[in-house]
Amino acid sequence: MNPPKPVVVPMRKGTIPIKRDQHIEYKDLEILVKCITPQGQLVSRKRTGFTAQRQRELKKAVKRARHLALLPFVV
Amino acid sequence: MTHLFEGMFLIDNDRVRAGWADAKGTVLALLEKHGATVHTARRWDERALAYPVKGKRRATFLLAYYDVPNESLANLERDIQLSEAVMRHLQLSVAEVPAAERELALAEQGPEFVVPEPPADDQGLYRPLQNLPEGEEDDTFEDQDDDMDMDRPRGRRRDDDYLDMDDRPSGPKSRVESR
Repeated sequence: MNPPKPVVVPMRKGTIPIKRDQHIEYKDLEILVKCITPQGQLVSRKRTGFTAQRQRELKKAVKRARHLALLPFVV
Repeated sequence: MTHLFEGMFLIDNDRVRAGWADAKGTVLALLEKHGATVHTARRWDERALAYPVKGKRRATFLLAYYDVPNESLANLERDIQLSEAVMRHLQLSVAEVPAAERELALAEQGPEFVVPEPPADDQGLYRPLQNLPEGEEDDTFEDQDDDMDMDRPRGRRRDDDYLDMDDRPSGPKSRVESR
């Protein structure tokens, strides 16, 4: 008998509250911590639900925050 | 021609303990030496760092907005890097000074503003969100994996592995039982 298939729970998309005209900055740590994994990696667009432009903004903000030791490079 | 910049400076806590006004003045003097016009400058935060910077685990952050002539930008950048007061910095070109920033900077200049003393030791548990109100705690880097049994030998889980037989996953009976 084949083992039962694992149940895949779909990830909720676009759960990070952010206003349309708001830009993501390296100082917005409350937003940034929601967009990184427990290991400190950046979360993919699939999970953040951001547009491509906003995801690039996020990438830049996380890298700047890492430079200032506000966020870790790796946990 | 000048450009408006936003600068974030990590200042050594030893200097902040000696006096915030002096520590801030050191950075502002550095900017003004190169012809910068400082619009606002304020203490952004005092935090435990995500990793040690120049051997320090905590630092005070100074956020400033200033105009710098283009020709002296490179010299300013080099001087900041050589400065012993500034552990690390980030300088970004921005379009305008945020309105909220002006108010916060004005509030710092007021007589009732008191700079909180940095902790006596250089230690502190790092969390991305710090200085939260009481009762709130940041659990961003808490271990969220179900890896309690990482020491278990690799391979298919047997029923003997479960300390409590009720913890077994429900579903079809495993092969162990049919053996």
